[in-house]
Amino acid sequence: MSLANKTKKTTKLSKPTSSLAPTPSPITFWASFLQTFKDIFTDSGVVLMLLIAPVIYGFFYPWPYSNEAVNHVPVGIIDNDNSTLSHTIVRYASASPQLDTQRFVNEQAAKQAMWTDDIAGYMIIPSGLEQQVLSGKAASVSVLGNGGYFILNKNVQLGFLQAVSTVSAGIEVKKNVAQGAYLGTAASNTQAVPLQIIPLYNQTEGYGAYVVPAVAILIMQQTLLMAAAMLIGTWYEQRRHATSIRGWLGRIMALSALSFIVGCFYYGWAFELHHYPRGENMLGSLLFLALFCPTVATLGCLLGLWFRQRERSLQVLIFSSLPLFFISGYPWPANQLPEVLQVIRWLVPTTPGLNMSVQMNQMGASVAQVATGFYALAGLWALYFILLLAFRWRSDDKRTRY
Amino acid sequence: MTRLTEAFVRSAAYERRFLAKNPWDLAMIVWIPLATVLLIWWIFSQTQITDLPIGVIDQDHSPMANTLTRYLEASPDITIANFYSSPAAAKDAILQRDIYALVIIPEDFSRNILSSKPAPIILQVNAQYGTHSGIIQKSVQSVAGTLSAGVEIQRFIKQGMAPSQAAIAYSPISIQRTSLFNATTNYQQFLASTVIPALLHILAMVIGATTIGRELRDKRLGRWYRFIDNKRNDLSPIENDTLNVNKVNNKQAATNIISLKKSSLSVLGFGLAGKYCWPTLAFSLWAVLALWLATLQDSIAISSLLATYIGLVLLMVLSFWLGAIFTLASFSLRAGLSATGFISAPSYAFAGVTFPYIAISEGAQHWSDVLPLTHYLKLHIAQLQMHAPIAISLPIVYSLALATMVTMLLTALLTKRALHHPERWGAR
Repeated sequence: MSLANKTKKTTKLSKPTSSLAPTPSPITFWASFLQTFKDIFTDSGVVLMLLIAPVIYGFFYPWPYSNEAVNHVPVGIIDNDNSTLSHTIVRYASASPQLDTQRFVNEQAAKQAMWTDDIAGYMIIPSGLEQQVLSGKAASVSVLGNGGYFILNKNVQLGFLQAVSTVSAGIEVKKNVAQGAYLGTAASNTQAVPLQIIPLYNQTEGYGAYVVPAVAILIMQQTLLMAAAMLIGTWYEQRRHATSIRGWLGRIMALSALSFIVGCFYYGWAFELHHYPRGENMLGSLLFLALFCPTVATLGCLLGLWFRQRERSLQVLIFSSLPLFFISGYPWPANQLPEVLQVIRWLVPTTPGLNMSVQMNQMGASVAQVATGFYALAGLWALYFILLLAFRWRSDDKRTRY
Repeated sequence: MTRLTEAFVRSAAYERRFLAKNPWDLAMIVWIPLATVLLIWWIFSQTQITDLPIGVIDQDHSPMANTLTRYLEASPDITIANFYSSPAAAKDAILQRDIYALVIIPEDFSRNILSSKPAPIILQVNAQYGTHSGIIQKSVQSVAGTLSAGVEIQRFIKQGMAPSQAAIAYSPISIQRTSLFNATTNYQQFLASTVIPALLHILAMVIGATTIGRELRDKRLGRWYRFIDNKRNDLSPIENDTLNVNKVNNKQAATNIISLKKSSLSVLGFGLAGKYCWPTLAFSLWAVLALWLATLQDSIAISSLLATYIGLVLLMVLSFWLGAIFTLASFSLRAGLSATGFISAPSYAFAGVTFPYIAISEGAQHWSDVLPLTHYLKLHIAQLQMHAPIAISLPIVYSLALATMVTMLLTALLTKRALHHPERWGAR
């Protein structure tokens, strides 16, 4: 560590006259609270991480998803039949809002276009299709989607399925009518058990509305962790990190108060701006923030004492967002994770936090319905705080040995 | 020429000494990337999503309704966690995330079927959990389809049709649906294989920023340059004069500055290459590991594998230079790291893998085009999953190579500029 710490400030400060810190930190709650506030706002690096970065992300992260739905996926059609029936199928497919069709002369050309990502799939109408249908033989078309991209593949399959089923149902109806059935019953007969799907909460099933409310909580955690650890790391370099238990609580309070405001920005403004489902249980959401922010801030202080250097928190934490998101149980079902990971994942605040926030703010669950999450966060806060005190005693010991 | 190779060797030795003494920086190059690659692979080790819990409200209680629940239970993607008697209890379970969807079988379900009327069933699904919702919708839809087909075909048979004819009459044109490439919707192939390069890219940018940034922060950039440019043989005397940097007499300082102002670009280039040779070496290894994992279940042509590997290593080196450029441009390790995080951490969301590129809003598409990760992942998916001919992806390899060279030159130029401004060193 000695090699890295020779900044101007520390060289000035590194001639300890006694075991006391050069600028003793306030030890009462309010003095420490105010001192922390002052230090945060005189340090542009901490302000950037704690306040400015999450606000910028509130606009930047939802940006790619602003179209929300995936429509007009480019696809190819190879019509080897060239009949009235095949033309009808092509017409229905090009009318589909999910697809954006173009013709290809053969499969090779379509594959070529798929390799360069010009199309996401294609349909082959075999020659003799109309002939087979008219003579009552089994007939089929092939749909080939690019399994390398899941959402595109789904759109390709669904778009073609709907187009072909509509044409197919028309034939069925015609035949039934020809066999003497009444047109009304014949038409309604095409699906004996229709499925009525009611999407709850995210009713438009937008991608941004799905992913951003959860990522917002992850962004809050990551920026607060980095800011808190940066602040404490800087203080460590200046030997100002030591304080009393009340002093630590004041620091945590100051950091969480600012982070709480960032949370309100997301709940009150960012989600509103992008028309995401929001504010279903506002009181519960605020109660959540009131517990989540101190928990994360305490972990941030703990990491700061561990890293002991201003820039280390950025260096070590930047990459962690993606893995933490995947183990949170939100984008990837938690029961699919390896069993050991299903336990370890509870050591991070986002694991309960991200789901609680979505459940209350987007879905409208009551505080009682997410009680487990509150207990988990409270438990984590206690754990981090005990570790923080343990670290404090350890580093105090070290300091007296200098 | 010996001056240049010596700059490389001396710079590499300088860096080796630093890494040996600083476990955190060594961990960033060795242990953290290794653990990350393995962790991501492990997260998706159960390659398919199965047994998502759903609930059922059966208001019909008929043999037909039982068949439906049996079909639902038989579907591998979902599992019936519970039967509910009241909508309130079911809603409570959805809000608590005990279940992610609710299938409601209305009370006139079997009567409608028997009287040849449509007998709808209702699926209420928690669409806020998009992954869960998509999979549940697909499986319940396919159960409903199977049930419909069975009912219809039975009806035709009752009307006196032969079973084989009945199937055709039910669906005159059937569809053969194929997913080319990743046919089994293997999430390890889809997510893990693409997330790993994204994370290595983030880590590489962070290392790029810190490797040069700490010299700026610790005001040792000049010491590093003098050391690699063959003026002194060991570090110790220099260590002394930098320690006393504030006290050094003006004459000495002036000569130091002059020697820095005359710094040679080619020496700097080789010196930087030496400084970054350890991370390059390490990340070349992690690239081998990443591609080995990505191609475990699949046999890939050696030329495709080689092209992807070269692409990945180029992406890593490019990331080093990008991180270095952000740091050198701002003269601050902290600012460089902030910029690195801002750009690299969300780059996977912009890369067009999970949310397709064509659906990304127009402005964001430009941003996506600027990110090197987008292009690498295009190459990665085309070569490793779509088995595309190598010629299709070669332009991406060439542009990555070009970008790497340009950014390296830029890094050298910015380092030269930084050497000219010792008064700006030490910024936090």
